[in-house]
Amino acid sequence: MTWWKRRSDRLDDEIQKHIEFEIEQNVAAGMSAAEARSAALKKFGNVSLAKEESREIWGWLWLERLWQDVVYGLRGLAHSPGFTVVALLSLMLGIGASTALFSVVYGVLIAPYPYQKPNEIWAPAIVSPKEPSNGWRQYPRREFPAIQKLPGVATAMATTYEPTLLTGDGSPESFYGVLVTGNAFEFLGVKPLVGRTIQPFDVRPDGTPEPVVVLNYQFWQRIFNGDADAIGKKLILNDVPRTVVGVMPPRFGWFTDDSFWMPMSVDLTDETPLNVIVRLQPGVSKEVVEQQLQGLNLRLAAEKPQDFPKGGFRTSLLNYMDITVASGAMKSSLHLLLVAVGFLLLIACVNVANLQLARTTARAREIAVRLSVGASRPRLVRQLLTESVLLSVLGGALGVLFAIAATRAIAALMPDFYKPNEARITMNIYVLLFSLGVSLLTGILFGLTPALRCSRPDLAGTLKDGGRGSVGSAGGQKVRGWLVAAEVALSVILLAGASLAIRSFSQLTRIDPGFQPQKTLMVNVPLPPKRYATLERRNRFARSLLEGVSVLPGVEAAALGNGGMPFGGPRSAYSIDGQLRKEDGRIVVGFISNDYPRTLGIPLKRGRTLTAEEVADGTHVALINQTAAKLWSRGENPLGRRIRLDLLNKPGGSQLLIPAGSTSDITVVGILGDTTNAGLREATLPAVYVPYTLLAPPTRVLAVRTFGDPLSVLNAVRQKLRDLDKDQPLARPITLEQILGFQTVQPRFNMALFSCFAALGLALAAIGIYSVISYGVAQRMHEIGVRMALGARRGDVLVIVLRMVAKVAAVGLAIGLCGSIALERVVRFQVFAAASFDFAALAGVVLVLSVVALLAAWLPARRAAGLDPVTALRHEA
Amino acid sequence: MDLLQGTLDLLVLQTLASGRAHGHAIAQSIEQRSREILQVGHGSLYPALQRLLRQGLILAEDGQSDNNRRARFYRLTPRGRRQLSLEASKWQQFSTAIGYILAPPADETN
Repeated sequence: MTWWKRRSDRLDDEIQKHIEFEIEQNVAAGMSAAEARSAALKKFGNVSLAKEESREIWGWLWLERLWQDVVYGLRGLAHSPGFTVVALLSLMLGIGASTALFSVVYGVLIAPYPYQKPNEIWAPAIVSPKEPSNGWRQYPRREFPAIQKLPGVATAMATTYEPTLLTGDGSPESFYGVLVTGNAFEFLGVKPLVGRTIQPFDVRPDGTPEPVVVLNYQFWQRIFNGDADAIGKKLILNDVPRTVVGVMPPRFGWFTDDSFWMPMSVDLTDETPLNVIVRLQPGVSKEVVEQQLQGLNLRLAAEKPQDFPKGGFRTSLLNYMDITVASGAMKSSLHLLLVAVGFLLLIACVNVANLQLARTTARAREIAVRLSVGASRPRLVRQLLTESVLLSVLGGALGVLFAIAATRAIAALMPDFYKPNEARITMNIYVLLFSLGVSLLTGILFGLTPALRCSRPDLAGTLKDGGRGSVGSAGGQKVRGWLVAAEVALSVILLAGASLAIRSFSQLTRIDPGFQPQKTLMVNVPLPPKRYATLERRNRFARSLLEGVSVLPGVEAAALGNGGMPFGGPRSAYSIDGQLRKEDGRIVVGFISNDYPRTLGIPLKRGRTLTAEEVADGTHVALINQTAAKLWSRGENPLGRRIRLDLLNKPGGSQLLIPAGSTSDITVVGILGDTTNAGLREATLPAVYVPYTLLAPPTRVLAVRTFGDPLSVLNAVRQKLRDLDKDQPLARPITLEQILGFQTVQPRFNMALFSCFAALGLALAAIGIYSVISYGVAQRMHEIGVRMALGARRGDVLVIVLRMVAKVAAVGLAIGLCGSIALERVVRFQVFAAASFDFAALAGVVLVLSVVALLAAWLPARRAAGLDPVTALRHEA
Repeated sequence: MDLLQGTLDLLVLQTLASGRAHGHAIAQSIEQRSREILQVGHGSLYPALQRLLRQGLILAEDGQSDNNRRARFYRLTPRGRRQLSLEASKWQQFSTAIGYILAPPADETN
């Protein structure tokens, strides 16, 4: 502390001077220098004791006063335990909940990335009026240099995946290796933990990459036990030995959180789609670069019109901060929850305000007495301030504990795939300070203002009045009434929000997905593309696997597929015989084996399913879903009709193999029931199912329907794979029920948090009502006594009290309902898919609130009704 | 003769009543005005000054001493002046009372 040091130095200096003066005086009186000095020191006494005692006074007095105030404040708080507990609880919940939720939002939305200036990273996207945003646009590898050369682009980097098989000492394992351009790590600006990152020189001048690999932290921990000796070791990846050159820190997960990064070749003939991001030249605006990219896109669209929207398009740049996995539904629901938790903090503050107001008003008499016996106003104010601060600090401390627990709970509740893998959710100190500050201010404002008002000169009035309800305190009661009404309104909004979240969730769980999710295991079988380089090899492997798995004990049925497993799948342009081709029409294509309908439990509606022979031979026959059947005009039977799928002879991408001379015409032989193939909340898309042998991607999905626990056959399936190819692993085993569960986790998250906040809000509001009504009863005790003395009965008194509650609750309810309806319009489409208010939900909210309000008022009302008129009349203060 | 507990504060206030002074001057003044009967341990002056400062009875300021040296001066605040008259009259009463008790009763001497 510098001021302490300064003061200390000044004292030393002063004492030094004092002694010098004395010496000079003694010398002037004729002493020798040595005599003068010793006489002066003798006269002064113990120098360090003097200093110490002086310093003690500084600290002591200051501390003593503070201590007195703190002790007095604590005693005051202990004296009214009800007030203290309720205020502390309010503060704890308000501060804790808002800090926790904001910490999550900060972690996943505001600062999700470890990259350098992530808000200056842009990703190209294409917007067309007909097709809503396509998201992050991918570019073929050969176009990457063209993007780099755009004048407004300072630097560009590109990323793609490659299924990668790790072989060697341990058991074989498959990963998605990440291929990046040589400048990628410079672009992202993240330093390695050990070794080095991939550098531009890792791509040779002729465009071929060096066989090096940079490891993800998890991978390093698992495969190398976190040993720094890993640098320089070789890993056999897709049969190529690669040298480990570096390890990234735990919080770096560019496109992967469990594998590795490898340099990408520069190849001007390669069509593989790349995810490209750019940073702009300084001073160049986003719009300018969008124009430049638009030029490039127009050229590409002229070359390959099928890859671009038909009705024209424009290019826009998305900020990378906006394309985190937490964006979209999760983002809007987090924003909404942030508002909700803000309401909660408000309710907590209103509660504290209310309590402080009631308390200080009740203490008006005490304050007046103390002033009249000579307490100084500043001292009194300091005492009240200490008490308010004390309360807030205690509440804040509890809030911190609550926030720590709640942050963990929310983070645990939040579905993993909504958390960017680099996000770190920790308690956010700034938010904590903010909510602490808000509640501190509330406490001080509402604790001090009434105190100041009643410490003004009119002591006699306050003393005479005896706190029996002067004009001033009637005004205070009015303010408190409004505060409680505000609390009620806020909790109505929270309750209404919770009812929406619950409805939205329950609607979702009642949706029939169109397939039977029980007892079905799904696994990925990623074949290394270079080992299985031909369509025949891939199909032969698939067929042997399917045959082997189907006869395993405990297996009811098994099917292979790409698309419709159960969500998503490639989309193809199509045309139907006898109809005009719809240029922007797309149909989902599922590449399936014959037992697909039985394995997923999808009913056949008309016609027949595919036979094993048709699938094995790659006959051009197809099943369609009911939605696709509507593509034919009414009354027309799609069975036996032909549909042309562009995907079948132009699959796009070098990894997708098709039979030589494949045509795109296919005949419909059956109609399957609709499934929710685009996700539970989305409308079913038209889908067509064709034999899987018509297209061979490296990775296929295997679905196995079992008689018992689906996971019990996992090991047998894994063994079957090994029997076919000892280096072949399986990836991502999961049950169909789990996949379906992912669809409901986000609404469940909404529902859980919203209900929680609403319950807390309701509890706080109930406390608010209780405190204001019991205070009001105490204030009107004398009046009630008079009324009872004049013949009012218990019932009449009850009515008086309940009327007080009814007024406050009705105003709050009215405001809250208007607010909810207004807010509902805003949020319905963003967050709660289809759900909207209905009469029952709103009536429920009103009912819950009324019951809570009545309960909260019941105790004070009964107390009032049970009063003995004589006691009530004698009641003072 | 040593000071009675708590009287040093009063003496300092009294000394400063006639104007501002630095620590050494205060000590000197108390000794001289008590006709050298009271011995103020100069060291004990400083805690007393700090105490009076804290209570807001005196103020400190930098200034020039008689022999043109920089020193720290103290002077009374209005509250200090009030406190002085209060304490002084208390002392007066106190010492008068003590005087009555210690003085031989008039009738006995007769």
